[in-house]
Amino acid sequence: MKINRRDFLKTTAATSLFFAGFGLPSFASQNKKNLVVIMLEGGMDGLCAVPIRGDKNFKKLRSEINLKKTLKLTSDFDLHPALENFKTLWDQNTASVFHATSIPYTGRSHFEGQDMMMSGGRVPYQENTGWLGRGMKLAGLKGNGLAMSLPMPLLIRGVPLNNNYFPINSSLPQKRLLNIIAEEFDQYSEKDLSETLSIIRNRDLNYFPGTNASTLALEAGKLLSDPNGPRVAVFKVDKFDTHAAQGGENGAHADCLKEYDQILKALKASLGSTFKDTLILTLTEFGRTVKQNGGKGTEHGYGTAVLMAGGLIKKSEVHGDWPGLKKKDLFEGRDLNSTMDARSIYASAMSTVFDLDFKRIQKDVFFGDKLENLSGKLFRA
Amino acid sequence: MKNFFRKVGFGIGPNEELPSDPLAWALNQLDDVPDLTWKGRIPSGKEMIEVHGRKRRVEEKKVREKYKNDKKLLKIGFDRLDQETGVDFWPSLELSIRHTEAMDSTSPVLAKLWFFWANHFAIVEGSFRAQFYTGPYEREIIRPNLNQSFEKLVYDVTISSAMIHSLNNSDNIGPKSKSAKNKKRTINENHARELLELHTVSPASEYTQEDITQLAYVMTGWRLGWSKSAKDTMPVEFDKDYHQPGKKTVFGKTYKSGKKGLANVIKDLVNHPNCRDFIATKLCRYLITDNPTEEMKRPIIKAFKDSDGFLPEIHKAAIRVAFEYNDQYQKFQNPENWFLQMAKLADFSWPTSPTIMDLYEVGKKPQLVHKRPLFTLQGLGHFPYGSKQPNGFSDFEVDWTSPELLIRRLVYAKDFFEFTKSKNNNFKFYKNIVKKNFDNPERIIKYLEKANKHYEAQILLFNHPEFLRA
Repeated sequence: MKINRRDFLKTTAATSLFFAGFGLPSFASQNKKNLVVIMLEGGMDGLCAVPIRGDKNFKKLRSEINLKKTLKLTSDFDLHPALENFKTLWDQNTASVFHATSIPYTGRSHFEGQDMMMSGGRVPYQENTGWLGRGMKLAGLKGNGLAMSLPMPLLIRGVPLNNNYFPINSSLPQKRLLNIIAEEFDQYSEKDLSETLSIIRNRDLNYFPGTNASTLALEAGKLLSDPNGPRVAVFKVDKFDTHAAQGGENGAHADCLKEYDQILKALKASLGSTFKDTLILTLTEFGRTVKQNGGKGTEHGYGTAVLMAGGLIKKSEVHGDWPGLKKKDLFEGRDLNSTMDARSIYASAMSTVFDLDFKRIQKDVFFGDKLENLSGKLFRA
Repeated sequence: MKNFFRKVGFGIGPNEELPSDPLAWALNQLDDVPDLTWKGRIPSGKEMIEVHGRKRRVEEKKVREKYKNDKKLLKIGFDRLDQETGVDFWPSLELSIRHTEAMDSTSPVLAKLWFFWANHFAIVEGSFRAQFYTGPYEREIIRPNLNQSFEKLVYDVTISSAMIHSLNNSDNIGPKSKSAKNKKRTINENHARELLELHTVSPASEYTQEDITQLAYVMTGWRLGWSKSAKDTMPVEFDKDYHQPGKKTVFGKTYKSGKKGLANVIKDLVNHPNCRDFIATKLCRYLITDNPTEEMKRPIIKAFKDSDGFLPEIHKAAIRVAFEYNDQYQKFQNPENWFLQMAKLADFSWPTSPTIMDLYEVGKKPQLVHKRPLFTLQGLGHFPYGSKQPNGFSDFEVDWTSPELLIRRLVYAKDFFEFTKSKNNNFKFYKNIVKKNFDNPERIIKYLEKANKHYEAQILLFNHPEFLRA
């Protein structure tokens, strides 16, 4: 896919920033770096994806939804067997975990939580832009965002001219008609519409690969590996809200983790050599209760895990300060605690991928909130 | 000038007469709120919540318990519960009622403003209540208020079960209230903040965190009624056991404790200068341009003030301004309004007829025709009851022009040729609607002549820059 607009935009953005006197990271001398965020909606259970080893209390609290078979990560942590592609990357030092972390939200409502995981704020519904959008804006990355969905998610709002890809199961009108419309857009000086239409005209108009997660990931990987293509892609996997039949190896939570794992696999394949310059992070609104409920599921909780993959990962490691699972260690006596504001991870990721000063991100993207710079610890510069 | 019919409405259909005085045509639609035009079944909000919603709410737990060992059976259990409570049908019925006001009513201008206010007071999607009640809330709480005062509209919306639930006011509990005596409980500021930020005075009024907190105290006690057998599907009530005792101060003014506090605060909020400015800005942005000017807003602000916030007067002022600036600004139409204008001009068989919709029985599986309005609007990326945030859908052009959203317009103009009537499938028909709805028909007809087939004319016309805007 050829996207002329981006070339144009990159030049204009570069030019305007140059004249504005800002330093601009030089892309000429290094490869383009990409950031992929996979939103796990419904509340991903970090304790199910990356369970603690040898904690008798944990096993007791989850007697009916324990994993009988796991993949081993470290002496302290296991991995859910549905995450086999993640494990392959782990073995290659290109996947890691940040455990016992959360966005700063303890209200346990999906709607508020999803709003805040995308806005990066501390109050629900207060922001109209997303942390990723603001980060891209700070980096001058106009026209570099790609959402694998029809609506533009709040997460990348805040920077103009984002692209999206979510094919419709119907053919587009013939090229001849699109050309007639394009001429008319030009005659009416509809510049923005014209540019968007030129993107559309460069798409394969009769190609409907489907909209399941791994198909979208294959397409996203192709676009991200284009040196002139987008630098940011956003996915969504939902149905993590397993109040019942959460299950162990083959339950409802396993299905969702598998979908995430398939996205990883497809991205790895389609990114090709670009994988080494890419960071793939998960984002969720909250974790789930330590104790199983009456429906063999779990309730809305707090602390969870962030799964990280890609060539920009420093090394395979489970990061974080483990708070323990004894009743007194739990948040409000029921949830895994969070010992790291997850926004520190995202701010550090943007600092690494967008070559931005961490403090500027902290100030301009995350409202000057107290965050920790983890760039050197988690990622390769 | 003819784009005015689409700017404030949905255009002039092929069988309608062209009004000789466009401004009078529009202004005459704003004094009364006539009965809904839809001839089929119109379920009451009470039925939706206390019968269907309640069943969904109460039985959800039983399904979880019953199928906890098997994720496949659990899914089947939930699908069956959805079917028994009509979840897949109601949104399409509501859209049919809504779209008929745009397509066939005698007051399309009022309909376009109804859509505006429903979006201004948007309900966040996804909760069980939203699935059953967002449509009825827009019909029963918002629409009848369109010829009342803004103050009454705000009050009725604020104490509606839809908004109380959407913005969690049931969780807003006075820390010194009776109910917090033995259990630690406190306020939830969501509803209070949005009442200020989104519904009335906007952040331009420079309220402080303390104003939000104090308003939240005023609002404590307003909650969804609850009973063991009905859960939270009982009507909204003011429960003084949850109300924070003592005086509260918002914007420097003190309010007494009790039920009346909310009405008193709202009275002051709607009379705040920033509220008038905010409403005028939003109306201009919806009808005229992304960036309204002060001159544009002035007559609307004045009408608001002079009439004590009487909505017909505010609406008339906004329509007059839209008329005055008609040739100067063309507003990019959001997907739903674009679709309805296309449906009206091309005389689609839209929405599904009342006879067919009434064939649906709760508990049975809805046919595709019973679900089409929902699929259509979701496919367009603009399902009006599906707002992700309480600020509703955007009125900015940039939010509606992503590649996929423009692709939807190209594809829908093509695929909905299926909904045209065969008697209309000729160039004469398209020429006629162009003459009725555009000031420069020759130019557009020349453009349409590039089409080889009738359906191609439809694609070209409804993706023409002059049609995308109004």
